[in-house]
Amino acid sequence: MPFSQIILNSIIRGSQLGLLAIGVTMIFAILRFANFAHGEFAVVGAYLTFLFSVTLKLNLLTAAVFAVGLTGLIGVLSNQLIFKRLREAGGLVLLIAAMGLSITLRHIVSAIWGSDPLSYEHVLGKTYTFLGARITSIQLFILVVAGIAVFFFYLLLHKTKLGKAMRALSDNSSLAQARGINVERIIIWVWFICACYAGIGGILIAWETLLWPELGFQMLLPVFCAAILGGIGNVYGALVGAMILGFAENVGLYLDWSKIIGLFGVFDTSRAIQIPTGYKYAITFVILVIVLIFMPTGILKGQKGD
Amino acid sequence: MGLVNFLIYLATMMGIYGILALGLNFHYGSSGLLNFGHVGFFAIGAYTSTLITKAGAPFLVGVLLAGVAGGLLGFIIALPTSKLSVHYWAITTLGVGEIIRLIAVNEEWLTRGSFGIPGIPQPLRSVIPASVYPIFYLGIVMAFLGLTYFIIRKLVNSPFGRVLKAVREEEDLALAMGRPVFHFKVKAMAVGAIFAGIAGALFAHYMTYISPLDFMPIVTFIIWAMVIVGGRGNEVGSIVGAITIVIFFNSTRFLKDYLPLSGQTVASLRMVAIGILLILVVLFMRGGLVREKKKVYKI
Repeated sequence: MPFSQIILNSIIRGSQLGLLAIGVTMIFAILRFANFAHGEFAVVGAYLTFLFSVTLKLNLLTAAVFAVGLTGLIGVLSNQLIFKRLREAGGLVLLIAAMGLSITLRHIVSAIWGSDPLSYEHVLGKTYTFLGARITSIQLFILVVAGIAVFFFYLLLHKTKLGKAMRALSDNSSLAQARGINVERIIIWVWFICACYAGIGGILIAWETLLWPELGFQMLLPVFCAAILGGIGNVYGALVGAMILGFAENVGLYLDWSKIIGLFGVFDTSRAIQIPTGYKYAITFVILVIVLIFMPTGILKGQKGD
Repeated sequence: MGLVNFLIYLATMMGIYGILALGLNFHYGSSGLLNFGHVGFFAIGAYTSTLITKAGAPFLVGVLLAGVAGGLLGFIIALPTSKLSVHYWAITTLGVGEIIRLIAVNEEWLTRGSFGIPGIPQPLRSVIPASVYPIFYLGIVMAFLGLTYFIIRKLVNSPFGRVLKAVREEEDLALAMGRPVFHFKVKAMAVGAIFAGIAGALFAHYMTYISPLDFMPIVTFIIWAMVIVGGRGNEVGSIVGAITIVIFFNSTRFLKDYLPLSGQTVASLRMVAIGILLILVVLFMRGGLVREKKKVYKI
C-alpha cells in the first residue's frame, strides 16, 4: 500500500472522528460531563437514514437530512427527559444516566433492525487515483461533507449570537446567566447541534463501511481520546485530536516497528514487527493513557472537569 | 428435576454476580470510583484460573491466582488515573475492559481466540456424583459469596473504609486531613478487582467453557444495574440487586414463547429495560432498594 493511501485513510478516519468529537467536547464544555451516549446518536442517525432511504425509498441525501434532524430532536429529548433533571447532580450520576441512555438507544436499534450489519443502497461510484492513493467517490463525498460541517460549526461559534452565548457558557455559566443569557435555551440548542453532528458522523461512517448497532459504542473510546488529546472542551482541539488519532491508528498499523525497537539493539529485529490489525483499538487506548498521564489538559488548552 | 436444576443454576448465577456486584459496589458505592470496565477484571480472573488449572494446578490455587490477577490489573490501571476526575476514570476503565477482551480474541496461542476454551476442570468432579454436583458447586459459590461479604464488610467498617467514604464524599477534605487520597484510591480499585477476578474463576469452572463472547462490555452494565438498583454503598443492597436482576433476566427468557418475537429481539428488549431501569433509578430513586445506613458521629 503506498504511503499516500495511508495518509488519505487517516484523513478520512480523522474527519469521521472529528464530527463526533465536536459534540463530545461541546457538551463537556457546557454541561461538564462526558456524554457516553454520544456514540448512540451516530447509530440512531445512521439507522434513521437506512429507514428513510432503503425502507421508505427516499433519495439518500433527503433521507440523511431528515435523519439528522430527527437525531437532533432525540438529543434535545434526552436533555429534557433526563439531563435537565440532573443539573445539580455530580459527575458520577450524570455518567451513569448517560450510560443508561446509551444502552437504551443501542438496544432499541438492535430490537428494531437486528444486530446483523446492514448497508445503504450501494451507489457504485468512480474511483479516482490521486498521488498513488485510490479514493472512491463516497470517500471524496465524506471529506467534502465533513469539511462543510466543520466550516458551519466555525460560522456558528464565531458569527452568530447563539455561538457567542455558547462560548460564554463554556467559559463561565453563572456569569453568562447573570448577563441575561437564557442558559436552558442555549443548552437545548447545544444538544440539538451536537446530536446532529453525531448523526452526520454516523451516516458517513455507515456509508463508507457498514451499519451495525455497535458502531457508536466502538467509536466511543477513539472519540473521547480525540477530545481529551485536543484538550476537552475545546472544539478546535477536538478536531486536531481527531486528525492525530486518525493518523496514529493508520500509521501505527502500517509502520514496521522493528526499526524503532532495533534502535536499542536488545531484541532480534531481523523480521518485520507490525501491530496486528486486531489491536487497532489498543493503539487508541495507549495514546489515551499517555495523554492522561503526561498532559491531561491536552494539546490545546482544555478544561479539567470536576 | 428440571425445575430444581434451573433454580440451582439461578442461585449459582446470583452468587457469582453477587460477588461481582460486591466488588463494583466497593469501587463505586464505598469509594466513589467509577469503573466502567468491571468485566475486564472478571475476564482476567476467568482466563487466569482456566489456564492455570488446565496446566494442572488445583482449583483453589486457580481461584486464588485469579484474584491476584484481577487485583494486579486493578492496581495497574488505577496508577495513572488515580489523580484524574471521574470522567477520565470512566473512559480509561471502559478501555481496559475492551483491551482485555481484545487480548483474549487475538492471542490465539494462549486463549484459543474466539473458539474459546472448553473442558475447564471442575473441583472434585470425579468424587462427587453428577446428580448432586450442581448443589456442591452452588455450595462453593455461596461460601465465596459469604467470604466476600464478610471481608468487604470488615474493610468498609475499618479505618481504611472510613477514609474511602471520606474520599467519596469530599476528596479535598480527606486530603486536607492528611490522608494520602491517591494511595487509597489505588488500593480500593485493587481490592474490588480481586473479588471480580475470583468471580471470574468461579464462573469459568462452573461453565467449563469460556470464550471472549462471555466478556462483552454489556456485562459491566448489567453489574452496574445490580449495584444501582440494590442501593449504592450497601453490601446487602448489592446482593439484593444481583438477585433482582438475575431473576429479571431469566424470567424474560420465556417471553419469546408467548410473544411473536424472536429470541434476539427479546434479548435486545431486555437490555432496553435495563437501560431504562438505570435511568429511572438515577432520576427518582437514587438510594436504590436498600439504602446505605450512614453513621452520624456526634461531636
